[in-house]
Amino acid sequence: MPAFTFFGGKGGVGKTTVSTAYAMQLARGGARTLIVSTDPAHSVGDLIDQPVGPDPVAVTDVDGLRAQEIDPRRTVEEHRLQTKRELRDQVSAGLVREIDAQIDMAHEGPGAHEAALMDELIAVMRGAEAYEQVIFDTAPTGGTLRLLALPELLEAWIGRLREKREAAMRLYDRAAIGKKQSRRQREGDVILERLRERRDRFRFARETLQSAGRFILVANPDALSVRESTRAVEQLTSYDLPVAGVVVNRITPTPPADEHGEAAAFLRERVAVETAQLRALETAIDAPILARVPTVAGAVLEDVGDALGAIDAPPDEDAH
Amino acid sequence: MTGPRGPALRETLREWLHGLYHGMIEHPASEKIEQEAEDLEDMFIMACFPDAFGISSPTAYYTAELLPYVAEDLAAWERRMWNRESVLERKGHQYHF
Repeated sequence: MPAFTFFGGKGGVGKTTVSTAYAMQLARGGARTLIVSTDPAHSVGDLIDQPVGPDPVAVTDVDGLRAQEIDPRRTVEEHRLQTKRELRDQVSAGLVREIDAQIDMAHEGPGAHEAALMDELIAVMRGAEAYEQVIFDTAPTGGTLRLLALPELLEAWIGRLREKREAAMRLYDRAAIGKKQSRRQREGDVILERLRERRDRFRFARETLQSAGRFILVANPDALSVRESTRAVEQLTSYDLPVAGVVVNRITPTPPADEHGEAAAFLRERVAVETAQLRALETAIDAPILARVPTVAGAVLEDVGDALGAIDAPPDEDAH
Repeated sequence: MTGPRGPALRETLREWLHGLYHGMIEHPASEKIEQEAEDLEDMFIMACFPDAFGISSPTAYYTAELLPYVAEDLAAWERRMWNRESVLERKGHQYHF
């Protein structure tokens, strides 16, 4: 099984840049690597200056690296259409209209978006056998955390649903006089089958995340980002998800000591503020700081990659 | 005198006795069990589609997959749920007041 690394953090801290630079570095080190963007803004393609779609494509500049962009909106739409097709196969035309409205309702809002994203993440994880390293450039913190908490909640919830359904089935069985099998029993099999399939998928996701997954938070050296990261680490830990540490991105470089201009004075002031924030982060957070990435001027991906050098690649289980 | 004799008599007797057993024991019991099953099923559907009562469900996206297979029962279920004024109202039926 490959190793799965998720990059999290507030919007705009540089998750896509850091995760892409990291993926490139892993690939250059010889690991078959996949970078997956789940951000609806889809900026991996912009960053590597190459069109990227829902199926993995080879990144032209880097051997052994493939990139993929997931669009949960498309997934929601496909799921809606598939459910409606099944409805038309099952019930009379009169009923279709009423139930159609309910299907539409279930596919609107942020909940549907997150559920679809979860399905896509599971699909990627299940089909990742060809890779040694899979890197996810995840969506911003709040949604991601809720999403990653879902497998556990859903599994428990589906378990209870199945118990109810099975108990009802058993009772119908006992109530049936003679050896008659009721319509409900036959249909119940489809429903139980669906619930079982769902449960297996969520269980796989949870087990994979806990055994082969790890989370790296990207933060900037400012008060908002420091607080957000501290909360995120607490939340991930409370969900039993492994946190590898924090990458601090966009640290202002200290100007040379012989510079005395206004710009140098401004930079020194910034550096002092950021140093205080970094210290606050170190004391507040229950995870190591893996790398400190300076604000870079030129070749962003290369420079960020160099600064990330300190992060070890997680072991790929097959390699041992 | 006409009428069943021998094996035929035994068969008629068996049928009558089974009818008696069915009417006095089997049927009322299976009626109760079936109602219990219906109650459980109502809870199942309620847990799947709380949206029908204005309670938003975090899993509506996933349970929507089940809609095509419970659609036929959904109308009856909704009626039962809205009309049920108390637990007794439904449970009381089994005593044939």
